[in-house]
Amino acid sequence: MFTGGKSFVSSPPAFSNDAKRLLVCTGNTVSVFSTSTGLQTCELEGHEAQVTSVIVVPATNPASKVLCYCWTSSLDGKINYWDFAAPELMRTIDIRFRIHSMVIPSLLCQRTDSTGKLPVPDLYAYISTEDMKQEGKPSSFAIQKCNLTKSRLVCGVTLAETRKPRYVTISPSGKYIGTCEKRKLRIWEIPAKDSEHVGYKKVSLHHTRPITTMAFHPNERVVAAGDVTGRILLWRGVGRETFSNSKSSNGRMNMDREDMPGVRDTDDADSCTTWHWHSSEVNMLFFSSDGAYLYSGGKEGVLVVWQLDTGKKKFLPRIGSPLLYFINSPDPTLSSISCADNQIQLLRMPSMEILRSISGIKLLCSHMDMYEGFGSAVVFNPTAGLIAVPAENYRVQLYSLFDDREISQVQICERNHQPGDEITVKVNLVALSRDGSTMCTVETRLPEEGIGSLVTLKFWACGSQKKQISLSTVIYEPHRDAEISCIAFRPTGNMAVSSSHGGDFKVWVHRHELTPKDETVQRSGWTCHAVGSYKKKPMSTAAFSSDGSVLAVAADKVITLWDPDRNTLLAVIGDSLEPITNLTFVGKSEYLVSASASRGSKISNPQLTVWSMSKLCAAWSYRLDIEAITCSMDDCTFAVLARSKPNGSADKSSKHAEDVILLFNAEKAVPLSVWFVSEAQGGGLSFVSSDEDKVSGTLGTDEVLAYINGAREYVLLNPHSEQDISRQRDFTNLDETDTHGYASVYGELPEFSLKADQTAFPSMPSGKTWKGIFSGPSHALPPLPKLCSDFLESLLERRSGVVE
Amino acid sequence: MAESFPVKPKLRPTSSKLTPTPEAKYWRSFKIPKDIETTPSKSFTFPINSIAFSPTAPHDFVATHSASVSIFSGKTLDPKPPISSFSDTAAAVSFRCDGKLLAAGDLTGTVHVFDAKSRSHLRRLKGHTAAVRLVNYPRAADKLHLFSGGDDSVIKYWDVTTEKCVFNLLGHKDYVRCGDASPISDEMFVSGSYDHRVRVWDVRVSNSGSVLELNHEKPVESVIYLPSGGLIATAGGNFVKIWDVIGGGKLLYSMESHIKTVTALCMGNVARGSGEEEAEGNRILSVALDGYMKVFDYAKLKITHSMRFPEPLLSVGFSPDCSTRVIGTSKGNLYIGRRKAKVESEEVGVANLQWKIVDDEPGRKVLRPSYFRYFQRGQNLKPSEGDYLINRPKKVKMAEFDKLLKKFRHREALVAALNKRNPESVVAVMEELVARRKLVKCVSNLDMEELGLLLAFLQKYSTMPRYAGLLTRLANKVVELRAEDIRSSDQLRNYIRNLKRDVEEEIRIQQSLLEIQGIISPMLMIAARRAYDSKNWTGIAEIEMEE
Repeated sequence: MFTGGKSFVSSPPAFSNDAKRLLVCTGNTVSVFSTSTGLQTCELEGHEAQVTSVIVVPATNPASKVLCYCWTSSLDGKINYWDFAAPELMRTIDIRFRIHSMVIPSLLCQRTDSTGKLPVPDLYAYISTEDMKQEGKPSSFAIQKCNLTKSRLVCGVTLAETRKPRYVTISPSGKYIGTCEKRKLRIWEIPAKDSEHVGYKKVSLHHTRPITTMAFHPNERVVAAGDVTGRILLWRGVGRETFSNSKSSNGRMNMDREDMPGVRDTDDADSCTTWHWHSSEVNMLFFSSDGAYLYSGGKEGVLVVWQLDTGKKKFLPRIGSPLLYFINSPDPTLSSISCADNQIQLLRMPSMEILRSISGIKLLCSHMDMYEGFGSAVVFNPTAGLIAVPAENYRVQLYSLFDDREISQVQICERNHQPGDEITVKVNLVALSRDGSTMCTVETRLPEEGIGSLVTLKFWACGSQKKQISLSTVIYEPHRDAEISCIAFRPTGNMAVSSSHGGDFKVWVHRHELTPKDETVQRSGWTCHAVGSYKKKPMSTAAFSSDGSVLAVAADKVITLWDPDRNTLLAVIGDSLEPITNLTFVGKSEYLVSASASRGSKISNPQLTVWSMSKLCAAWSYRLDIEAITCSMDDCTFAVLARSKPNGSADKSSKHAEDVILLFNAEKAVPLSVWFVSEAQGGGLSFVSSDEDKVSGTLGTDEVLAYINGAREYVLLNPHSEQDISRQRDFTNLDETDTHGYASVYGELPEFSLKADQTAFPSMPSGKTWKGIFSGPSHALPPLPKLCSDFLESLLERRSGVVE
Repeated sequence: MAESFPVKPKLRPTSSKLTPTPEAKYWRSFKIPKDIETTPSKSFTFPINSIAFSPTAPHDFVATHSASVSIFSGKTLDPKPPISSFSDTAAAVSFRCDGKLLAAGDLTGTVHVFDAKSRSHLRRLKGHTAAVRLVNYPRAADKLHLFSGGDDSVIKYWDVTTEKCVFNLLGHKDYVRCGDASPISDEMFVSGSYDHRVRVWDVRVSNSGSVLELNHEKPVESVIYLPSGGLIATAGGNFVKIWDVIGGGKLLYSMESHIKTVTALCMGNVARGSGEEEAEGNRILSVALDGYMKVFDYAKLKITHSMRFPEPLLSVGFSPDCSTRVIGTSKGNLYIGRRKAKVESEEVGVANLQWKIVDDEPGRKVLRPSYFRYFQRGQNLKPSEGDYLINRPKKVKMAEFDKLLKKFRHREALVAALNKRNPESVVAVMEELVARRKLVKCVSNLDMEELGLLLAFLQKYSTMPRYAGLLTRLANKVVELRAEDIRSSDQLRNYIRNLKRDVEEEIRIQQSLLEIQGIISPMLMIAARRAYDSKNWTGIAEIEMEE
């Protein structure tokens, strides 16, 4: 099975010890990306359910920096131990509970005892588990302890039982773990010598609002928490009573309340301060490794750096999407931010520049489907194996299905995006021409109390390699105020049609203006060629036949057939019970497939009908609720994505795959193949011509069926045989191969040639890394001990060899 | 970090003619010089019948109007004292080939000859029985003769020194209104008459009438020889015709782009250099009563430039050195345009020399930090080849409203945009506010003064088609939200009254447009059907009725 499009941001990523690799949980696998190129280098496959956490075993001394071991936990109840350099699965521990989160404090503590003479103590992990009980009962969640050395759960040790899965936070020193629970924080102290049966000291901190996230200070007893209103609470001296060894229990009693400003009731803390900058929920908090700064981020998509002593702020604005996690790396100049739009940004640290980003398919934003007619469906380009995904920040992302990699992003609407806001401007339709040379987008601005709505149609010219996409034509309000329901490109030529709910469709053609002298294209653009309407009925969708001679436009419940060149009505067929939502010509055959499925909440008579164009009448039909139709380019097969349940009654709890993909031959009403899938709503389906280099197993045929579900994960299926499509992924190797010995210090020797002496020495900027180390304001620099080694290393100037 | 986008107005459709051709640039570069303002001296109350340039530098020019001839200095364009010793309206004027004498005809039928410099009256040639509309000296070398034509349809060839008419040339059957001497021969000239005929004369064969006769098919208003001497251009009616005289009077081209009678022609030139290019740069300038001056390239047979003036044009002149263009109108205005002369290089050279001397002064001081030039040293240094250039990051220019929008100060941003008085940016800011769901709130928060500003804006622009979609609805909303405030202030009530009037006017226009659409659309339908029936389908062009 060729799957892809997994979420990169389901759980926090982890850096390898040399900070050259980033481990990202992607569905059932862990993908390893190179931080220098942003490309995937390998994949850890072995889990059967979503991976929930990945922990890299830290290096205890500089020599072990090259070691690449990590622990992962997954919802399938397994904890795996990997060597991710190989990549190789070393050990598996099955605990038979779904694991939502895992921390291993002892890994962080090991740093202190470097003698190594003592027998290595057992390794304990604290996991947030879910006990799947029998059907009908809510499952119970608990934080439990697991002995990783002996591969079993520690019986009887349950730190907390909760109603919801908890994310466990660990302090950088490994001394404390904590969770947020509604309006309070729970913090446990992990004893220095952890064993199976040991008592835990715990502290609770209370707040008046639900707490969303928490963070521990690396070396002081300071705890930060963010709440849903955007406040950041900072408790200092947490657990002075409970965690300190001196048993002066009366000290607390003597203390005046005024000495503990902001601390609630009987909470064990010295003081509590509140910072408020975020306007909505704080999603992530993180202390810098020296403890001088606190990073916070939330829905606004702004990274805020707080100076801990003074509360002064610095910002990294316009990241473009809500921030979820912040992770720093062993390299002080590198950190990463995970954004809600499935993108991981790598930051150069003191200066907070975005170095590069690793992005998956843009995710649907949660409140996108609130608006009717905001079909934010994914669009396929069958010939190139591309999909175009409209993103929330007015961009369209082009994603390669076979490479499982983003190709480019295009800014459709030049507007500053504020992630937290209600959506008012939206790219709601994208279309790609078959040869991929043109893209068409529609953006809509919603009116404010009836004022100022705007629909804009834009045509884009795509250059070679899909890299450069330039704006060709802008058309404001192409159908007056009415929204555009569909855009279709003619397969054979420079023509497109846009249909609107306002009752008309327009045919657009691409025109060139030639200069009289040398016949070069002076200006080119799309102009309206013809306007058509049928009884003022709303036009819901349109399609061209494969040879481009017939244009079919669905006018409410009937299908109108037009000659696109002469703009004359040829025929009107059909009279379905519901408005038609989908229309496709089947390859080069004489059949037309239409589907009527109401997009709203109610549904009464869904229908899939195949029309014969020669007889202008229905050939056969099914009562199916169709989400998407696609036809193969050559023969007369087509595939439909059918929902078994109407939208309204979709029951989230049942996990059974009840949606179905059916493959038909247009001449017969018997499906050729059936696949069961889940989450079909908002999904898409398309035949994609396969790339033989990347995909094997498609014998004879060169088309595969691509299915993308509502969560924007996709599968490639072989439509004609049972044989699965296997993937031959060629991961790009780490670009910077480590150089050794002489070359690592002085760079490669330039090749000796007589000519080189005569040419002037090329001037080039020296890649002095200490420029990067010291960039940024002095108060924001990392601490000296961290800088020192990097600085000294950079003084040994690496000369990059110039090969002529 | 994504880049930040400033608020931009909607794009406007661009036309391909936005970038002017070099020729259009050239013709537009004839501007009224700043140092001479449009004084009353250049706006005479009577029509300017005729304009002539002196063939010698500095190319003084004369214009006839009423009963006087005004002479202008070719150097400064200042008017010199006029010659006004006419007893009736002066109608035609011509310089002798050396520019020393000036001949002018008047409506009494007399041709006067003046000294161009001293303006003294030298000769009086009497003979015509009606008004003289054509006076011309030969253009090549002949200083002794001139010819004239008048409303008595006779052309006379004069010996100026003796004030004697050498012979009469007969042939025209109506008023002779125009004529031109050949640029290559002293003996050849051409005349045009209201009998639609253009005749070419040769004084060497005077007794046998005209050498050539051309039928222009309209009363001929103006005729000129083109510089080669082989072609002539005639103007009459709405068109200009070009004839090949050597080729036996063949019609080469008829330029029909004026919409009223073409009144005058003259030669122009766009080639700034000399030599071969000069011939290619020759153009015919034509002016007409429709107020247009057109520039016609007779080599490519194409109109290369067109310029509109607010009054009917009667006469045109173009200086031989291509620096001045003069157009006279029927209301007595004289449009003088002059191209900027090149900077005189000699003076610059002298200045450079002086600088050099200063620079080369021995014992140049070493710059010290106590001197401000120390801090400027090296700033103007040009990078040499092979230098690695580090460009300063470009500063993003942000408008005031952009800065305010960035700080989420929406009302202030709207007011800042309104104060800028650029409707495009105001509408762009409003659209951005709509996208932020803040426009209505902004409107309700405006204080009285700012509300006045907004209402004034709405009154001015809400009926403009480009902005109407947004602004009419906004105007409704404003009135709805702020009714009480508007009622309480006289000034605001004024704005609303004006707004109401404009809206009513707009509704009237819309209604009449709808009526027109109602008339047109059945016709279009029929036309489309006919076209389809006869298989001559060309596709319905999109008919964009203005709403």
